[in-house]
Amino acid sequence: MNQNQTADLLKRSMPFQTVPGEMLEAIAKLARYESYARGDVIYHQGDFADDVFIVSSGAVQHTLGIGFQATHPEKIVRSGGVFGWAAVLDNQRTRMAKTVCMERTELIRINGEELINFFKATPETGDIVMSRFATMINKEYTMPEEVAGHVPHFTQVPVTVATGLSLTMFRLSQWLKSPKPYLMMTGFGILLATWYLAVEVWKLPRFADMPGLTTVMKEWFSKDPVYGLSIWTPEYYQHIWVSVRRILIAFFLATVLGVPLGLFLGWSKTFREYVFPVFETLRPIPILAWVPLAIIMFQGSETPVIFLTFLASFYATALNTMLGVETIDESYSRAAACLGASKWQVFREVIVPGAMPFMFTGLQISIGVAWFSLVAGEMVAGEYGLGYVINTSYTMVRYPTIVIGMITLGIVGYVSSALVRMAGDYMMQWRVRELALGGR
Amino acid sequence: MNANTQNQSAVMSDTPKPVVKPSEIQVKNVSKSYGAGLFEKQVIKDCSFTIERNKLTVMIGPSGCGKSTLIRLLAGFEKPTAGTIELDGKRITGPGRDRLVVFQESALFPWMTTHDNIMYGPKARRENTKQNRGLAEYLLEKVGLSAFRAKYPPQLSGGMQRRAELARAMINNPDVMILDEPFRGLDCMSKELMWEYYSGLFEESHRTNFFVTTDIDEAIFLADRLLIMSNIPGQVRETIEVDLPRPRRLAFVFDDDRAIAVKMEALSILHKEAMKSFSGGSKAASDFVEAYSKRSAAAETAEQ
Ligand SMILES: Nc1ncnc2c1ncn2[C@@H]1O[C@H](COP(=O)(O)OP(=O)(O)O)[C@@H](O)[C@H]1O
Ligand SMILES: [Mg+2]
Repeated sequence: MNQNQTADLLKRSMPFQTVPGEMLEAIAKLARYESYARGDVIYHQGDFADDVFIVSSGAVQHTLGIGFQATHPEKIVRSGGVFGWAAVLDNQRTRMAKTVCMERTELIRINGEELINFFKATPETGDIVMSRFATMINKEYTMPEEVAGHVPHFTQVPVTVATGLSLTMFRLSQWLKSPKPYLMMTGFGILLATWYLAVEVWKLPRFADMPGLTTVMKEWFSKDPVYGLSIWTPEYYQHIWVSVRRILIAFFLATVLGVPLGLFLGWSKTFREYVFPVFETLRPIPILAWVPLAIIMFQGSETPVIFLTFLASFYATALNTMLGVETIDESYSRAAACLGASKWQVFREVIVPGAMPFMFTGLQISIGVAWFSLVAGEMVAGEYGLGYVINTSYTMVRYPTIVIGMITLGIVGYVSSALVRMAGDYMMQWRVRELALGGR
Repeated sequence: MNANTQNQSAVMSDTPKPVVKPSEIQVKNVSKSYGAGLFEKQVIKDCSFTIERNKLTVMIGPSGCGKSTLIRLLAGFEKPTAGTIELDGKRITGPGRDRLVVFQESALFPWMTTHDNIMYGPKARRENTKQNRGLAEYLLEKVGLSAFRAKYPPQLSGGMQRRAELARAMINNPDVMILDEPFRGLDCMSKELMWEYYSGLFEESHRTNFFVTTDIDEAIFLADRLLIMSNIPGQVRETIEVDLPRPRRLAFVFDDDRAIAVKMEALSILHKEAMKSFSGGSKAASDFVEAYSKRSAAAETAEQ
């Protein structure tokens, strides 16, 4: 079995369904392929639980040991099924069941410890996967709830969190307590030191024309900048404002149009069959390729830039919202329909809140790509803005100003992402609690 | 007229008691297959039974025999391949508010608080009336979740979630209530509490109820009538009237001779079905099962 097949198999299994593609490939690298003959015992009750198993083909009989309460003590796991999740539990690393192959069986196994370590690096996805494990334990295996309590979780959120704001504050305090801020500062320190040394001390060959750290800082904070742009000049803020305004308009349009489109794409199969192929054909076209058409299509310098910025954001938002709708368990819509909800109510009250987590992932990606394409647009067609500053400073040989533009761009971009994230926390308090996990 | 009776009951006691219209469901020669041609799989075959008015009918059968499939047919989300299902003589063609179905996999909406989950049905039908809000409070109290009204489902324990699901179904006052393994996954203790609790609710209204389970004790404790399913393709193999007195209490039911006799009878049928699934179609194995059951039947008569 090659890496792609393994990733496909992972994608079909319940816990990994929502894991993004490149992460699946990374997880696939942890997986080992094995095949068993009929009658082979994979493990006994009481064995040490090292690996989690996912069945590729065949059938495995899973018999819970004595002492574990369950309504279905026996079950058969087939292709796409997952068993042996004791390997990912905290403090519960013994097998609770015996597993025997009922026919020739092919499967992959992933070491629980390695998987958990992998998820420590990507806590957000880790928690989604683990909450799916917990759901599986509760639902399919009908095990006592306390076992689900052993499922580890990675982003640490107290259950008492009351509002989105306090969640944000909590994240901040957790972050300050973790080693992350110090690692981050070290990282920045190394970057700045390398820059300083390479340009101003060692004067490396290709770095001769580069503006040095001290030059840039002096220029940036100077009341009387040599090249006319610093934190004391009004033009600096005008450039920032123009870029921010473009982002605001484009992001607003992308959200207002992309979210409904994504919702409808996910919700209506017919609509999807009409629209999705077009969408998928246009999406891979790089934003830069749209520049000439944008200039031809729209008048002035403002609208083409906004259009380009809008475009990439729009794709990200719509696509992620659509995926969000697809991941909603159908049983929610059914329950709502049974309780008397109309089709439209199901859409409003189940599909929309259910898709919310993916939608906000989409919006975070969206704001990121918005900045990316904004700069591309401003370099070609702008009259103001940070991208324009960078481009004109290059043609007019004002090298320190280029770097000032770049740093400013980084800071403003980071702040805007953080704001989107805060909005998401605020609107999805239930989600926060779900990630807090395991019905605790 | 309907509003009138409701007012009366509200006057008669201060807790709003639901008014139940007795209904009956008849399943006639229903079959259901999935797939076509070579891949056709028959899940239910020529299945007939009645869910009687004002009774709690329990269906028990080995897992994978088609119980949940049958529930989807009763709910109207899927159509039978052959046969009909009628509610009070009217054919079921789609989901309707006369039946309330709690699916095996159904869950509370994680994005709503317990209270909002319970009020979802009335709100969805634009019946956010004072009476219904009162009923919601009453049910929250009844299922012991008043203190958890503002919590989100992931913050509740499994048992609490099940009780909230029951309350969410009950508030809609359906003519028939259909439940698919609603207490799956609970530990022994909370399961037994849920049985007493659920049969208490039934005794209060005598609403027509249909309850699917794989647990024999649960089935006998709850049932007025017990339907035993065959192995796949599913069919009702046997109907047993469980004429134990109500209200039922755990200690009492499991010491009762009649209850033990019913349990033995049900178990022997279930055992036969289980043996068949074990033999898995092999001729030799099924011959063995047949010979075995003949011998044990002979032994039984000899004993008597
Ligand atoms: N949509 C479907 N397509 C194909 N097979 C199905 C489908 N739904 C159920 N089945 C099959 O029908 C059988 C009975 O399933 P189910 O009704 O869930 O059983 P139970 O609820 O009694 O455990 C199973 O073997 C299952 O594989
Ligand atoms: Mg079922």
